[in-house]
Amino acid sequence: MEKMSRVTTALSSSAVSGRTMFCHLDAPANAISVCRDATQVVVAGRNIFKIYALEEEQFVEKLNLRVGRKPSLNFSCADVMWHQMEENLLATAATNGAVVTWNLGKPSRNKQDQLFTEHKRTVNKVCFHPTEVYMLLSGSQDGFMKCFDLRKKESVSTFSGQSESVRDVQFSMKDYFTFAASFENGNVQLWDIRRPDRYERMFTAHTGPVFCCDWHPDDRGWLATGGRDKMVKVWDMTTNRAKEIYCVQTIASVARVKWRPERKFHLATCSMMVDHNIYVWDVRRPFIPFATFEEHKDVTTGIVWRHQHDPHFLLSGSKDSTLYQHMFRDATRPVDKANPEGLCFGLFGDLAFAAKESLISSDANRKPYPGGDRRYPIFFFKKPDPTEQFAHVSSALSVFETDLDSNRMDWFVKTAQLYLLSGKPFAELCDHNAKVAQELKRPQVSTTWTMLRIMFSDPANLTTPGPNHNLSKLGTLPLMNSFSMKEMGSVMGTESRLDRSKGESRQDNILLEPGNPHISNNNEENEETEGSEGQAEYMFGDAELDDDDLYSMEHDNQTEEQEYTLPQEAFQLRHEIMDNPSAPEHLQQDKADSPHVSGNEAEVTCLTPIESFSLISISQPLFSPHLPASFFCPIVREMLSYYAEQGDVQMAVSVLIVLGDRIRKEIDDLTQEHWYMSYIDLLQRFELWNVSNEVIKLSTCSAITCLNQASTTLHINCSNCKRPMSNKGWICDRCHQCASVCAVCHHVVKGLFVWCQGCSHGGHLEHIMNWLKSSAHCPAGCGHLYVTRLW
Amino acid sequence: MFVARSIAADHKDLIHDVSYDFHGRRMATCSSDQSVKVWDKSENGEWHCTASWKTHSGSVWRVTWAHPEFGQVLASCSFDRTAAVWEEIVGESNDKQRGLSHWIKRTTLVDSRTSVTDVKFAPKHMGLMLTTCSADGVVRIYEAPDVMNLSQWSLQHEISCKLSCSCISWNPSSSRAHPAMFAVGSDDSNVTYGGKVQIYEYNENTRKYAKAETLMTVTDAVHDIAFAPNLGRSFHVLAIATKDVRIFKLVPMRKESTSTGPTKFEVQIVAQFDNHNSQVWRVSWNITSTLLASSGDDGCVRLWKANYMDNWKCTGILKGDGSPLTGSSGQPTAMSTVVGSSVQTSQNALNGMSAGRYFFPPLDPPRAGTRYGHLLPPSSLIEHCDAEPIQPQQQALPHRLSSRALLPLPEAEGQ
Repeated sequence: MEKMSRVTTALSSSAVSGRTMFCHLDAPANAISVCRDATQVVVAGRNIFKIYALEEEQFVEKLNLRVGRKPSLNFSCADVMWHQMEENLLATAATNGAVVTWNLGKPSRNKQDQLFTEHKRTVNKVCFHPTEVYMLLSGSQDGFMKCFDLRKKESVSTFSGQSESVRDVQFSMKDYFTFAASFENGNVQLWDIRRPDRYERMFTAHTGPVFCCDWHPDDRGWLATGGRDKMVKVWDMTTNRAKEIYCVQTIASVARVKWRPERKFHLATCSMMVDHNIYVWDVRRPFIPFATFEEHKDVTTGIVWRHQHDPHFLLSGSKDSTLYQHMFRDATRPVDKANPEGLCFGLFGDLAFAAKESLISSDANRKPYPGGDRRYPIFFFKKPDPTEQFAHVSSALSVFETDLDSNRMDWFVKTAQLYLLSGKPFAELCDHNAKVAQELKRPQVSTTWTMLRIMFSDPANLTTPGPNHNLSKLGTLPLMNSFSMKEMGSVMGTESRLDRSKGESRQDNILLEPGNPHISNNNEENEETEGSEGQAEYMFGDAELDDDDLYSMEHDNQTEEQEYTLPQEAFQLRHEIMDNPSAPEHLQQDKADSPHVSGNEAEVTCLTPIESFSLISISQPLFSPHLPASFFCPIVREMLSYYAEQGDVQMAVSVLIVLGDRIRKEIDDLTQEHWYMSYIDLLQRFELWNVSNEVIKLSTCSAITCLNQASTTLHINCSNCKRPMSNKGWICDRCHQCASVCAVCHHVVKGLFVWCQGCSHGGHLEHIMNWLKSSAHCPAGCGHLYVTRLW
Repeated sequence: MFVARSIAADHKDLIHDVSYDFHGRRMATCSSDQSVKVWDKSENGEWHCTASWKTHSGSVWRVTWAHPEFGQVLASCSFDRTAAVWEEIVGESNDKQRGLSHWIKRTTLVDSRTSVTDVKFAPKHMGLMLTTCSADGVVRIYEAPDVMNLSQWSLQHEISCKLSCSCISWNPSSSRAHPAMFAVGSDDSNVTYGGKVQIYEYNENTRKYAKAETLMTVTDAVHDIAFAPNLGRSFHVLAIATKDVRIFKLVPMRKESTSTGPTKFEVQIVAQFDNHNSQVWRVSWNITSTLLASSGDDGCVRLWKANYMDNWKCTGILKGDGSPLTGSSGQPTAMSTVVGSSVQTSQNALNGMSAGRYFFPPLDPPRAGTRYGHLLPPSSLIEHCDAEPIQPQQQALPHRLSSRALLPLPEAEGQ
């Protein structure tokens, strides 16, 4: 006894020592309780009832209270409590409804002292009065609470909750006569021990059973309750009505709740289902556990703070048949792993950023890496005592909007919208696109387009200008040609390519020189400008612009038209197909057997390079050294890959489409498909549906072209008889009338057919629009009144 | 230059994730307060909260949008060991009139036994698939066989990564040449456990995901990981947030058609920056994958950009609260921020203009063929912005560029 008291005083000066440790039990534990001086712990369960000593390094089994040859059900414990005043006194709640007290001071092996068999069903909870030695309270499944005087054989008073099974009873720490009881129907009752007839106060604390409650050790008014609704609530009981002051959301039903000693806002919880962890919460920050103990492999059934004035040791028993002592410093801190920041790039280059306010407001609480040691993450250092820093935290959210054009994606959108990919001769497409790029201040792209035009254009074309421009043409074009070759090399960025193209161009120049003195002059000039780079770009641009001007005057109309009959035809035909109202259904078929569709344009136009080449050699002997278009293909291929790798898949795809067969064979289908897919995805992100559709249509990969034919079904009904059109023609096979007749001009509508969803009459867009200017009724005379907004 | 627009998020605890939708017009935030909020951008550029609801019974770690083809669908994951799929319901309640939309839970995925740390939808071309990773080191891949029915998800794959997972990223490449691939990062802080980033690849023959690569050089806790948008490239770029920012390039090696094993990759570290001087929490790519943003414990967002030689540089620092950055970190305050004021815009415009340019420090000798950045010695790849003087910006521009003036990146041409 002397020794005991010595230990007790030592502890009150908070010197419990130990480490995280555990021991295996013979059977699952149902409850644990610790003696006042924190040196011993009792573990009780269905098949276990033992006392362990808490030593520095380990648990040591002290006493097995489960004695006798055939242990009675009285040993099967649902709950156990060690008296906090009397070292030798324990009480257990047996599953058979008995309340048993045990006296460790008994000399015999069987320490059983008193046995009360008044409850009819399982006793869920026993509770000693914190200061009164002989007063014991029990709460049972049968809905009654009983108060026992251990000096008597029977209970002194019985309290009827009159509601449901009692899950927990707890004497108030401060108010001598008060105890709280929690019930399976969600109620909590407050009783005065002197008045067994009725409760002092009752309130509904949870939806569903309230499994546990715990009075705050310091603050007399606070009661924590935990329920199956996964919540822990803290109630202020000092006011007239119980007031919920904190609510903690846990992830599973709360089986036990225990206030942490010496920490006003902390409490520990464990769950009876699913979740095996023990959480310590700061009720002021109810969303994220302050600390977690994750050692148990099965449901934790009992938790208790080792010493009532020491916040660092927690004991727990579990269904996994282990008894643990947890050290607070070994707990996991979910907050440390919780990301304090969120960051996301938006589509338009804006940046959403959410960060913990303390991180961004000042550098005060931030400690940079100490000197040279960068091996350890910062959070190992930054919290001297995290206990004190775990208060309410919030994040600041801001969006950084860029107004820098290059970061914003405007260039992409504009480029996508303005580029011409088809419908005009090749050279014009290139020029147009070059101009677009120029206007968007993308000289590199612009130059690329220009060079592509030069490389792949029909040279005959370029050298048959209107008579007025003859001289200037001859002067500028070859110059640009040779220049472009060099630039090309640098665009490629590979040395070998550079060298080679340079070599070639030299050769080119030499060959040209005798023919035209202009060229060599220009060439020299050019090489000078090339030296001072920034200028060179502009020079180039200017030259090109001049060139454009010259071109655009008459050139298009006069000579080029003839040369380009072939491509134009192809385009024209494509348009025709677009006009065809039944196109979606027939497209596949058409593709197979007619050259009219974009897909098969290949076969038609693939002749052009060869043809054009032959044209040069015959009609323009001067330019015989002009390199065949196929010579450039490897360069262009590399260039396209380069653009793609730089994130400008737009350029890759645009060039691919514009060049068509000139380059298509050079690039393997998978890559092409990949580019198309990527570009289409981007276009759709920017909601550029029209462009996206155009690209899909112009693509030659079968995987791409089928994209806009998938998952769209068009059901067509006859406008006369309103029955579904089964065949593909114009005539409805039921009423044998032409289905799409314009209600105004009575001709069959080819192309855009607009109709009223109400009466299904319609016609040419133009006719109907004109009609509606003068009348609001259906032109077919059916009497249907149009709502103009319908269109 | 960036203008910081501060939004009163009104989350009651830390915000852990921000996510833009496919079109960049909506934003979702999730927080420890167990709620998710959806923000819509109005015509004038203001963000309005149009929905806020309790999603989980624990901290919500991540939120992510599905491709809009599948509807307005969000997925969230939480400390409560679940992931959930949410769909917006339009026009049913009168919530709309109050400017609020209604989100309903379509499914809860309860397979994890520990905190679900990340959730990501697979690239659209794979169908409607959802991936989660959890603290117990398991990656789970779910598929909705019927895209119209968001309440049915079947668990297709369960991949054990051995290490506690913190983040996951799908390779967005839609090329048929690239098998489905994802990278998982682990926040296990034990350096001795080896590589913290694992890359898994789908094998057509076995119909399983198999580990293709472990980035052994990343040994510290990884907090975030992000594949760059692929955009038609043949290789993959991966950004990693650990104690520093790292960018890796994974070049698939050509493999014989007969081999059935996972693709071999040539792994190159392209850049490594410790400018945050602290844990880096998030990395995010812009849509063209030309710009990488990272945020760290220093409360700053840093922007990284590669020049044409594949040298990555810091092009801007954004302070979270918009206040000007103090010189302490030695960074050129290239991109200063202005909080919500249009007044200062013109004044700072100049600043911003120059900021977008690259620095061409004298260290870099002009080299032909340097587009292949991996040919450079690794030491020169790891740039120390701090050490960089500001002046070279002006002085270097004219001549450094000389041999390849036509080469700056597409975006750089703005100036």
